[in-house]
Amino acid sequence: MLEALPAALGLLLTMQGMLVLVIGTALGIVLGAMPGIGSTVAVALVLPFTLSMEQAPAILLLLAVYAGSVYGGSISAILINTPGTPAGAATVLDGTPMARAGKAGEALGWATVASVVGGLFSAILLLFAAPQLAAFALQFGPVETFALICLGMTCIVTVSKGSALKGLTAGALGIFLSTIGGDPITGEVRFTFGQYQLIAGFNLLAVVIGIFAFSEILIRIADGASEGGTKIEFKGIVLPRLSQWKGRLKGLAKSIAIGSGVGVLPGTGSATAAFISYAEAKRSSPRGAEFGKGEPDGIIAAESANNAVTGGALVPTMALGIPGDVITAVMLATFTLHGITPGVRLMEDNPVLMAAIFLGFFVINILLLPLGLLLSKVAAPILRIREPLMLSAIGVLCVLGVYYVRGNPFDLLIMFAAGVAGLFLRRAGYPMAPLIIGMVLGPAFELSLRQGLIITDGSFAAFFDGHPIAAVLLTVTAVALLWPLVRALLSWKKERSRA
Amino acid sequence: MKFGSIVCTAALALATPVWADFPEKPVTLIAPFNAGGGTDLLLRGFQEPFAEALGGNAVVQNMAGGSGTVAASHIAGLSPDGYTLGYLSITVSTIQPQIKDVPYDKESWTPICSVAASPTMFFVGADSEYNSLEDVKADIEAKPNALIFGSSGPGAITHLTMVAAMNGMGVMDKVKHLPHKGSGPAMKSMAGGIIQFFGDTEVMMSRYDLKPLAVFADERLASLPDVPTATEAGIAAPLNELYLWGGLFAPAGLDAEVTAKLASACEGAVQSNAFQAFAESTGTVINYRGPEEFDAFFRQQWDANKTLIEAAGL
Repeated sequence: MLEALPAALGLLLTMQGMLVLVIGTALGIVLGAMPGIGSTVAVALVLPFTLSMEQAPAILLLLAVYAGSVYGGSISAILINTPGTPAGAATVLDGTPMARAGKAGEALGWATVASVVGGLFSAILLLFAAPQLAAFALQFGPVETFALICLGMTCIVTVSKGSALKGLTAGALGIFLSTIGGDPITGEVRFTFGQYQLIAGFNLLAVVIGIFAFSEILIRIADGASEGGTKIEFKGIVLPRLSQWKGRLKGLAKSIAIGSGVGVLPGTGSATAAFISYAEAKRSSPRGAEFGKGEPDGIIAAESANNAVTGGALVPTMALGIPGDVITAVMLATFTLHGITPGVRLMEDNPVLMAAIFLGFFVINILLLPLGLLLSKVAAPILRIREPLMLSAIGVLCVLGVYYVRGNPFDLLIMFAAGVAGLFLRRAGYPMAPLIIGMVLGPAFELSLRQGLIITDGSFAAFFDGHPIAAVLLTVTAVALLWPLVRALLSWKKERSRA
Repeated sequence: MKFGSIVCTAALALATPVWADFPEKPVTLIAPFNAGGGTDLLLRGFQEPFAEALGGNAVVQNMAGGSGTVAASHIAGLSPDGYTLGYLSITVSTIQPQIKDVPYDKESWTPICSVAASPTMFFVGADSEYNSLEDVKADIEAKPNALIFGSSGPGAITHLTMVAAMNGMGVMDKVKHLPHKGSGPAMKSMAGGIIQFFGDTEVMMSRYDLKPLAVFADERLASLPDVPTATEAGIAAPLNELYLWGGLFAPAGLDAEVTAKLASACEGAVQSNAFQAFAESTGTVINYRGPEEFDAFFRQQWDANKTLIEAAGL
C-alpha cells in the first residue's frame, strides 16, 4: 500500500479530485443534517452522478457523501431531536438535553471534534492495517458474532432512562418487530397476517424516522407549536477548549477502538458501535451518572464511535469484497460499473486506486471540521423559522427519505404508525433508544444464534468450547448484567453491618 | 340520453385500437432489489438501449424487500397496460412463490423476454484439497453430518445449486446447510473455513478465492474448459442443469400487440452495442428469448424447480 502512495497523491491532488472531495463532503453534511434523510438516501441520491465519472472521483464522491452524512446526522439529532439514522439515536441521548439547556453550540462542538478524530483514526487504520484487520474479521464466525450481539443487547439497560422495566419492554418490542417477515433460516413468512407488504418486514429506517422525527413533530403539535422559532438557542459551533478535554481522552480512545473494531466486522454496523460505545462510556466515565442529562462524554462516545465505523466498515469491503451494510454494498457495485472487480484481489490489482481512495478518505475527515463549522452557520437562521413551517418541512423530508430508500408506499404507513405509537410511548415515559437497539440487533441476534446452533449441532455448550473469542465476550456480557446486582448486594450488606 | 351518449363514446374509445401508438408515456422497469445491487445495475445498463429501441422513454424504479417478492406482488396486482414491467429472476418468479404465501403464481404473468442466463457452478475454497465432485462425495460419506454447504439464503439460487449437487451425489442427508444473508457473508464463512461448499455463477470466481468443480450447464464453459459439466461429474437429469436467469414480466393479460412491441424493443436492447459492452464488463451472460419461447421456458422451469424445492425441504 505504502509504495503506491506517491502515485495515489498524484491522482488525488488534481483540480477534479479536490473538487469532488469538497463538494461531496459538503453535500453529505447538508443531506445528513436534513431530518429524515440519512446516509442511505444521501448515497443513493448521488449514485447516478457517479456513473459518468472516472473511477477514482466516482468512488471518492460516494465516500465523501457517506462520511459527510454520518457527521451531518449529528446536527439534526442535536438541534431538533430528529436523527436520520439508527446510529444518530445514540447522539440524541445527550445531545438534545444539552441543546435544551442552552448549550447547542457546545454540544455540536463536542460532536464535531469527536467525529473528526474518530474518522481520522479509522482512516489511518484503513491505510496501514486493512489486510491484518480483514484477517481478524475472518475469525468472527456466527458464534462470535452472536456473543458480540449479546454484549450489544446489554446496552438496552444502559440507555433506559428512568424505568429499567419500561426500557426492557421497549427493547423487547423492538426485537419482536424485527422478527416480522421472512425467517432467515427456513424462508417461511412470519407474523404478516397475509399482508404481502409485510414479507419484507418492518423497515428499520421507516421505524427510526417515524419514532424519532415524526413523533417529534406530533409532540410539538400536541404541545402547541410556538409562532416564533424553536426554543433552541444556536449561533454556531463552539469548539471545546483543550483544557476541557482533560479526563475525557481515555474515553475518546476507547470509543474509537470500539467503533473501528465493530465496523470491521461485517453485519453489525454503526448503530451497534454507537450504542456499545455509549454504554461502555457510561459505565467507565467518572461522570457516568450525568449521562442522559446532557453530558459531553455521552456525545463524544456516540459520535467518535459512529464515525470510526465508516473507516472500519471499508476494511472488509475493500479487503474481502464483503460489504458491511447497504452503503458499502452500493460502493462495491460502483466498482463493478467502472470495470473494477471487487473482491479479495481488489487491493492487489488496483494498488494506486485503492491508496488514492484511502488517502481521500483521510482528507474527507479533515474537511469535516471547516465544512462543519461553515455549514452549521446556515443552520442557525433555519432554526428561527416559524415552528409550524419548520415542522411541515421536516414532515415532508421524512416522507421523502422513507419513500426513497425502498420505493415502497407501505413503508410510509409504517412511518406514520411508528410516529403515532412513538407519541404515546414517549408520553408514557418509554425510552425509544432501546426499541431501536432491539430492532437493529434483533435480526443479527437471531441469524447468528441459529447459524451457530447449526454449526454446533444444537449445543449451547459448544459456544464456549473451541470458541475462545465468544467465550470471553459472553463472560463480559454476564459480568455486565450481574455486576449492578452484586454491587447493590454488597452495599446493602455494608449498610446492614453498619447498622 | 346524455348518460347513454357517454357510455357510447366510452365503448367506442375502448373498441378502437388504443395500443396503436404505444408507448404514449415512459415505461417503468422495476428492479425488485435495492439501488446499487446486481439487478439494479443490469436494468440501468438495459434502460437506455431499451428506450431507444422502443422509441420512447424508460425509467428504472427500485422496490426492494422480501427477496424480491414485494415488488413482484405489486406488479402482479397492476392492470396489464404495458407501462410497468418487472425484471424477475428464476428465484423471484418460480421459487419464492412456491415456498412463500405471496399473491402471485404461475398464471400471474405475461412473460415478455428473457435477458440473461448464467449457469451455476459448484465451488470449494481455492486452497481446498477437493479436486472433483468424487472427492467431495467420498469425504462427505466418510464424515457424515460434519461438512457444511453455505447459501445466500433459503430458496436462493445458491441454495438450490447445492441441493441439486448433494441430491445428485446422493449425500443430501449427510451434509448440513448454513444459510446466510447474501453471498458476501457466505464468502466470509468460506474464507473462515466454516463452510466447505458453495454454489453460484462464474462471476464469483473473479471476486473470491474459489475453485470450481462442476458447471450445471449442457456443455463446458469456453472460459473454463477443464471444469466438467455436472452430467460428466455423475449428476443425472433433471438435477444436472441450473441457470440463474432473468427477464421482463408484465402482469397477465397484456395485449398481444403491446407484448410484441415490448419484446422487439427488448431484443434490440439486448443486441445493442451498449448492452453487450455492459454485459462484457459485468460478467453477465446474455440470453434472449421471445415471448412465446420465454413463456414456455418459464412454465417448464416452474415445474422443474418444484422438484428442487421439495428436495431442499422448503
